[in-house]
Amino acid sequence: MRTFLATFLVVIAGSLILWVSTDEGRAFTAEEARRLEIRETPRPVPDWHLQNQDAETFRIQDWHGHFIVVDFIYTSCPDVCLILSGNLKTLQKDFSTEEKSDKLRFLSISFDPEKDTPQRLKEHLSHFSADFRYWMAARPINPSQKKAILDFFKVIVIPDEYGGYTHSAGYHIINPDGKLVAIFGIEQTAELHTYLNQVLKEKENVSKS
Amino acid sequence: MYPKAKQAWLLLAALVILALPPMQRFLEQSMVMHMLVQIPALVIIGWITGKILPENWKDNIAPWNRWGITGIALAIIIMTYWMLPRVQDAAISEWPVELTKFITVPIMGMALGISWPQLNPIAQGVLKLEFWATFMRLGWLYLDLPDRLCANYLLSDQRVFGQLLLLAGSIWAVAWTLRIMFGIRIVNT
Repeated sequence: MRTFLATFLVVIAGSLILWVSTDEGRAFTAEEARRLEIRETPRPVPDWHLQNQDAETFRIQDWHGHFIVVDFIYTSCPDVCLILSGNLKTLQKDFSTEEKSDKLRFLSISFDPEKDTPQRLKEHLSHFSADFRYWMAARPINPSQKKAILDFFKVIVIPDEYGGYTHSAGYHIINPDGKLVAIFGIEQTAELHTYLNQVLKEKENVSKS
Repeated sequence: MYPKAKQAWLLLAALVILALPPMQRFLEQSMVMHMLVQIPALVIIGWITGKILPENWKDNIAPWNRWGITGIALAIIIMTYWMLPRVQDAAISEWPVELTKFITVPIMGMALGISWPQLNPIAQGVLKLEFWATFMRLGWLYLDLPDRLCANYLLSDQRVFGQLLLLAGSIWAVAWTLRIMFGIRIVNT
C-alpha cells in the first residue's frame, strides 16, 4: 500500500514537472522555448548604441515607430547567415513600396565585432544589394554590450571547428513600441512573410483611423 | 563499517571533482562528453551510494519501495527530464539547473541501484529492451536530424553522439545475442 502511494505521488509529481518544464508540452528545445516565451511575454528592447556600416552611432530608439526585423550575423559566415540575409533581401524586395518601407526596417547585428569593421559590414550589405536607408548592419561597441544583446535575444553563439561560429538563426521582430514581440526560425520565412503582411496592414489601419 | 566510510568519502570526492568549474567546462564543451561521460559518471556515483547506504536506512526505505517499483518510477522520470534538450541547454547557461543536475542525476543512480535488483525479472527485461530501443531510436534520430537540438552544441557533435549511441546499442545487442544463443557472458547485462 505504501509502495503504491509513493509510486503514485512520484508519477504525479514527475508528470507535473515534465509538463511545466516543457511549457505544457509545447517547447522541448531551447530554441522553441525562446520563441514561445517572446510570443507570450513581449519584452521592451533596451536602447543599445551600435556602430553601423557608415561608422555612425545607431540606437535602436532611432527606429522607434517602425517594425524592425533583426537577424544576427558575422560577415565571414559561409552558410546560415547567407541564407538569413538572403531572405531579408527577398523581404526587402517584397515590402519595397515606399509606404511600407516607412514602417519596416531591417537590422543585421554582428556578433563578431572584432572582425566586422564598418567596411566589412558595408560589403556584407552590398552582397545583398541592400537599400542602406532601410537595412542597416551594425556591431556592438564593446564586449559587455555584445553579451547584453545576445543575452537579451537569447542567441547562443558557439565557435565551430572551422574557425567560424554556429549560432541561433532567426528573425527577431521588434514592434513600433520598441518591444521584441516574435521570433521566426530560418525555416519559417513563409510565416514571417504572412506575419509582416498582417501587422503592417494593422498598423496602416491604426494610423488612418 | 570502515570500508564503507572510506567508499563514501571517495564518492563524495568524485562528485566534488566533477563539480569543479574547470572540470564542468571540460566535460560540457562537447555533447558526447556531457552525455556519455559526465551524466553516466553521476549515475554511477549514485548507484554505488545506493549500495553502501546504512542497512537501517535501506530498511526504512523498503516498505515504500516494494519490488523496487517506486525507485524505478522515480528513475524513469528523472531520466526523461534530463533527456529534454532545453534542460541540457539550461544546465550549461544557468547554475540552478546545473545544481539540480548534480543532485537529481545521482539520486536517479541511487534509485536504480537500490531498486533494480528487487525488480521482477520480466519488468527488468521489458525495461532493458526499452532502454536499448531508446539508444537506437535516439541514435538514429541524432544522425538523421538536419537541425541542432541543443543550442550549445554543434551539429557535427550531435551526429557523432548519434553514431556512438548506435554503436553502444549494437554492442549491447550482440552481447545479448551471444548470451541467449550460446550462453556466453561478455558483460553482465
